[in-house]
Amino acid sequence: MGAVMTTRHTAVAVDEDAQYLTFMLGGEMFAIGILGIKEIIEYGSLTVVPMMPAFVRGVINLRGAVVPVVDLSARFGRANSAITRRSCVIIIEASTEEGQAQDIGLLVDTVSAVQEIAAAQIEPPPSFGARIRSDFINGMAKVDGKFVIVLDVDKVLSIDEMSSIAEAGQAPALDIDPR
Amino acid sequence: MSINLDQALQTFIVEAHELLQVMEQSLLQLENEPADQDAIGAIFRAAHTIKGSAGLFGLNPVVSFTHIVEDVLDRLRDGSVAVDTALIAVLLKSGDHMLELINVVASRGETLQPAALEREAALREALSTYQAPHSTPDTGVQNTETGAGDTSAEVLWHISLRFGVDVFRNGMDPLSFLRYLETLGQITQVTTLTDTIPVLDSWDPESCYLGFEIDLRSTASHATLNEVFDFVRDDCEVRIEAVDETSHKAVSIGSELVAQAEQGPLTASAQRLPATSEPKNRDGNYVRVNADKLDELINLVGELVIASAGASLLARSCQNDPLQEATSTVSGLVEEILDGALHLRMIPIGDTFNRFRRVVRDISQELGKDIELTISGAETELDKTVVEKIGDPLMHLLRNAMDHGIESADARRAAGKAGKGHLSLNAYHDSGSIVIEIADDGNGLNRERILEKAQERGLVASGAVLSDQEIYNLIFEPGFSTAEAVTNLSGRGVGMDVVKRNITLLRGTVDLDSRPGQGTVVRIRLPLTLAIINGFLVGIDKSTYVIPLDMVQECIELDEHQRQSSCDKGYLDLRGEVLPLVDLRNHFSHEGSAGRRQNVVVVRYAEHKAGLVVDDLLGEFQTVIKPLGKLFGALRGISGSTILGSGAVALILDIPALLNQIVQLEARTTQAPYSPTVVAR
Repeated sequence: MGAVMTTRHTAVAVDEDAQYLTFMLGGEMFAIGILGIKEIIEYGSLTVVPMMPAFVRGVINLRGAVVPVVDLSARFGRANSAITRRSCVIIIEASTEEGQAQDIGLLVDTVSAVQEIAAAQIEPPPSFGARIRSDFINGMAKVDGKFVIVLDVDKVLSIDEMSSIAEAGQAPALDIDPR
Repeated sequence: MSINLDQALQTFIVEAHELLQVMEQSLLQLENEPADQDAIGAIFRAAHTIKGSAGLFGLNPVVSFTHIVEDVLDRLRDGSVAVDTALIAVLLKSGDHMLELINVVASRGETLQPAALEREAALREALSTYQAPHSTPDTGVQNTETGAGDTSAEVLWHISLRFGVDVFRNGMDPLSFLRYLETLGQITQVTTLTDTIPVLDSWDPESCYLGFEIDLRSTASHATLNEVFDFVRDDCEVRIEAVDETSHKAVSIGSELVAQAEQGPLTASAQRLPATSEPKNRDGNYVRVNADKLDELINLVGELVIASAGASLLARSCQNDPLQEATSTVSGLVEEILDGALHLRMIPIGDTFNRFRRVVRDISQELGKDIELTISGAETELDKTVVEKIGDPLMHLLRNAMDHGIESADARRAAGKAGKGHLSLNAYHDSGSIVIEIADDGNGLNRERILEKAQERGLVASGAVLSDQEIYNLIFEPGFSTAEAVTNLSGRGVGMDVVKRNITLLRGTVDLDSRPGQGTVVRIRLPLTLAIINGFLVGIDKSTYVIPLDMVQECIELDEHQRQSSCDKGYLDLRGEVLPLVDLRNHFSHEGSAGRRQNVVVVRYAEHKAGLVVDDLLGEFQTVIKPLGKLFGALRGISGSTILGSGAVALILDIPALLNQIVQLEARTTQAPYSPTVVAR
């Protein structure tokens, strides 16, 4: 999958900019800092874990380690992503509040490129209008004349929050279970 | 070099802990059988070895205190002091203090806190009454006179010391011996012998070629000096001779010992103190391995199992007979390796049990109750990681049983029971898990009080009908305590829920049985190992699930006709027995409709029995458990995952949790009369 990624260098001050991975999701472009990214793999055989919220797509075997895959689109409260030939899983090292590291896969439509974005080019997030929870957004970056949403990976992939959603999702499901 | 010494220090700390454990065990045994010479010997050896090793590392606080203990023990051994309860109590406390000394001084390299020093002073005082009248209570390291052959006058000793080539490799530092000798007296002259040092080309930097000729002026006896070299006796030559200062002629005092040393250092040490050689022989059959290394090995073997399953799968699809044969041989071997590797980590639970003897003794004295602990099934083996984590919950349960369960002697006699309370710890294997029972013959649980309290706390709706079992298990709920008075030991209502949580974390369960006036039994059920399980693979839709094999009782085929009738009823007639069914496809919300043929896997856990309806039966599979991580922490009914030979991930069913969940679900839907569709299952 390395071929998908192309690195472009833009002439900006070194100490202020950081590298971001941009990717597409539902026709919109997003970016995440590349520091937490471990690798990008093709979407492949995935095992569905039952009784989990929709955004937990399932688990995959990453060279012997079992890694959960989060459907980013569903995490934003939209429909589950449709799987295409170009669907990718970005493996990110997330950490819990206790500081334990855990790898999590992020399912996206396509990955685009690694880009350097100067801190000056990132504007604070709008309080509404992005149709995504505002605490998920780190800022809005202008890349090639278009806005790119820079995500706060720690918030989006907060294991503590996601597991509490899963917990909350289990209890009421039992009450209304029609079977 | 310093690394080697550090390692040796670590070994010393580990050994000292073990020795103190042995000492405590033997002391408790001695309390029951005061004439037990073996126990006295074991206690003495423990103290003696700790003192000797501590001296080697220059841990003077440990040496000086242990020396007094050893002195008393020596008198105990030769019969000048008799065993009594007070002495045992002092010695037990001394053991505790030695443990503290080792933890503080050896592990952390700190000095004792003032409170601990006060305790030490009190212990020294108490011990001094048992010491021989002529020796002063505070015998420092300077005058370590032990046993027979004391020479109180200062003597000039000549020590010829030739270290063996392996001294460095064995983690010893020749210098430390010289330093230690200095604590015994005054070294007047040291000549370093370098004549064995080879030419530079053949010099091995890890070998030791040194020898020393030492003149030592000391009041220490020959035996004491000889002891200094206990740790290197196997690979060095030592001669200790007293020098007649007037004629400057060496007079051999311990000529017998020296002669033996010449014959062979090993036999000399064995004859000198037969007792110390015993643990050495025993150690020869064991290899100390770092637990991390073992875990790493077991992880790798786990990967090997997965890889070999993958290879077998490929071989089968190749239609190549010799290849298939080869892979099946490999699989067989891998399985054996796995069994062997897992067995390495299995340790008997007895050590954990025995630790509680002291606890029971101390707490029963504190409570003023007479309680006897009976231990059975101590040889039952289970995984080291499980053993380590079960100690605390067991401690809680024991304390609870002693505090709340067993009544005071007067109350017991009034109830027509023997004044002495009985507490028993038992362990045994049962259908792939280990069961630990803690039973007391106390008053039993007060059913009404628990129910009342639970209603008061809002844990149970008033008017709810609960079985006795359910009521008893309420005491494992958070914040539940019925003790009227909060004692030092228990009654705060933390504890039982922590016990339960800890056990659940180990994939175990706990339940409780009680008879009013006759006692309470707490049963803990634990898996044998946390790393690997034998699983039974079943397929639902395209997913694969693993059911722990030890819970599978049998498999039944379910044809179209049976399926219709049993699906309507929600149970199956299994040879005249009612077997409740769980349709996993529905329960796990798998899409698509069931295939024409379905199967029922009959599972049993403790007293629950149920049939799981699945699509396919895929056979047995040994699986390495891969935890799912915190994200799935709230997921009930699935305990982990594993990787199949094909590389796909399969989920492992947690049968107890799954059945519990379904029972709760059923209870809720049937309890609510307005629920629209109650029996569509």
